[in-house]
Amino acid sequence: MFVQLILSGVAQGSIYALVALGMTALFRATTIVNFGHGEFFMGGAFVLYVMINVVGLPFLPGALLAIVVMFLVGMTIERVLIRPMGLAPHIALAMMTVAFSFLFRGIARAFWGREVLPMPAVFSFPPIDVAGVIITTQDLLITGMTLFFVVLFFIFFQRTNLGRIAQAASANPRGASLVGINVNLFHGTMWGVAAGLGAIAGILVAPITLLYPDMGALILIKAFAAMTLGGFGNLGGAVVGGLLIGILEQLSGGYLSTALIDIFAYLVIIAVLLIRPAGLFGIRESQRV
Amino acid sequence: MFKTKYLACMLGLGAMLAGPAFAQAPGVTDDSIKIGIFGPMTGSAALFGKAVFGVEAVYKDVNDHGGINGRKIDIVREDTGCDPTRGTAAVKKLISQSQVFAINGGLCSGVVMAVKEEVAKAGVPFVIIGAASSAISDPMMPNLFHPVATTSNVAKTMIDFAMTREGTKKIAVVSHSDDWGKSNRDPAVDHLKEAYGLDPVLDLTMERGSSDATPQILKIRNADADFVVLMMYPAEVAIFLRDAYKYGLKVPVLAPQSISLKDTRERVGNDAAVENLYVFYPYAHPTDSPEMEKWGKLINKYYPDERVESFSYLGMSGALAVVEALKAAGPDLTRQKFMDALNDLRDFDSGISSAPITFTPEDHAGIKGGAMATLDDGKVTVMKKWQDK
Repeated sequence: MFVQLILSGVAQGSIYALVALGMTALFRATTIVNFGHGEFFMGGAFVLYVMINVVGLPFLPGALLAIVVMFLVGMTIERVLIRPMGLAPHIALAMMTVAFSFLFRGIARAFWGREVLPMPAVFSFPPIDVAGVIITTQDLLITGMTLFFVVLFFIFFQRTNLGRIAQAASANPRGASLVGINVNLFHGTMWGVAAGLGAIAGILVAPITLLYPDMGALILIKAFAAMTLGGFGNLGGAVVGGLLIGILEQLSGGYLSTALIDIFAYLVIIAVLLIRPAGLFGIRESQRV
Repeated sequence: MFKTKYLACMLGLGAMLAGPAFAQAPGVTDDSIKIGIFGPMTGSAALFGKAVFGVEAVYKDVNDHGGINGRKIDIVREDTGCDPTRGTAAVKKLISQSQVFAINGGLCSGVVMAVKEEVAKAGVPFVIIGAASSAISDPMMPNLFHPVATTSNVAKTMIDFAMTREGTKKIAVVSHSDDWGKSNRDPAVDHLKEAYGLDPVLDLTMERGSSDATPQILKIRNADADFVVLMMYPAEVAIFLRDAYKYGLKVPVLAPQSISLKDTRERVGNDAAVENLYVFYPYAHPTDSPEMEKWGKLINKYYPDERVESFSYLGMSGALAVVEALKAAGPDLTRQKFMDALNDLRDFDSGISSAPITFTPEDHAGIKGGAMATLDDGKVTVMKKWQDK
């Protein structure tokens, strides 16, 4: 049971990590906490659903197109809703993300409000039984994709000039534009990337969670808990945080009480904020006075 | 003398003009009866809102056949989103602003419980569409009628069904921890104890929005349960069954009337994963039978784009009972006459519900009894006991 719970926790945690990764990438690039990221997750899944069931595309082209659509949606949000706010306080920007989150959810409800829709699995292989421990190809795919993207983003932010420019642009947008960096284009692109990443998570997870307009709301809380535990703005921290929450949820549900599974994320947020506000991998900010 | 005659004429004229307004109940005119309908048309429980279209189809069909005692039914619909606060606002609006004659609404027990007091105060006849909590009609409220299999009735049927299999001793229960989950779980656990002297071998929770049931499945597998009773919403039941199949758990799973067999199979995407699923079946016939299909066609006549499924029929029996009582109340319609007619309803067989509707002045829980159903070679099979399989 222990090994099975750990494996299941890794699979669940990978979902949280993948969502947290998109939020962290955007946070690092723009310093905006995006409360609408759950709707990128939901949007990706629903766009794919439309591609398959309405347009009639096969899964893979449909998924690629859904990611492109969501990338454009992300860029549009930055151009139409975020950029006009200029250097507004963080709380105002966060409220804007809350607003478009509810707007997107409302639009989805208008079309699919009464339905909980199924999504075909990416692979339909039967579960693999290794000495009594069950592994599914869908779980392996999600975990693999999470690892792939964390490595990709790590290389981008830490090892490429573009990544260093990205960090400079987020730390000092005015300075960055003075040295010729197109900060607006960069921010728009990062919103697109975040939305695309949210869409990838939604596409991978929808066969497991089923599709409904509110599917992004709960996952957002888990992703916040992962970011808080790992340290806000730390890519590796978001992934480790997500995996830890997934594993601890499963172990607490399996050995203590199933009632703990759903409140675990909130307990983590409270405990981390009280004991180590910077999270596991965050750097404590100090201000000289 | 002239003055007296003049006064008499004026009074007579006044009475003629004002008469109908005084004589008729709120929401009733010479040619219409205003009925308020509310349900979750949006939000995470909007699936239950499908029942609203079934109810409205019944009323629209009545209108197309000439109405009731010369009056057409005027429908006013409000959306509650399954939220008690929104539900209270919606019901206040129906009573005060729309001034409906009666209300036929409520699919979320939490919402109905929240609005009960408001409706009791207003004295508006209130017929439930599909909310099943036993607390809705017990204790009885004189103007509230509950033509739905209550959670007590459903739980009793589920537990009794499990116990018809010889040797059943270990029943595991998995439920949501919200009000809805409790209102379904508690009567099942109570009935198991009272009728059979047993406690659940496991009493677990799985919250709404969960995307994984691994800990629950592994615990049930280790406990070697004979049956699993799921008191959960459709999405979580599908996730539970998918994970049960994944981990090779082959225990019969019982679920309440909120679960549609065919929809669950579609959501799980695997016939084998639902072959051990048995649901409380609120209808007299399988949903794909000719007897039920005619009601589905009626819904699609008025709502061509609506996908008819199990929930769609949930409130139609109640709506037909409302029509029956409106007819019986006669042309001089008042709320009291309508409620008296409902109280006189005995063994009203709509052809839809698994059991006939009976209301008495002392008992407004109108449906007693029910059955279970499972998929047998892809077809819905209704059964009363385990041996019927």
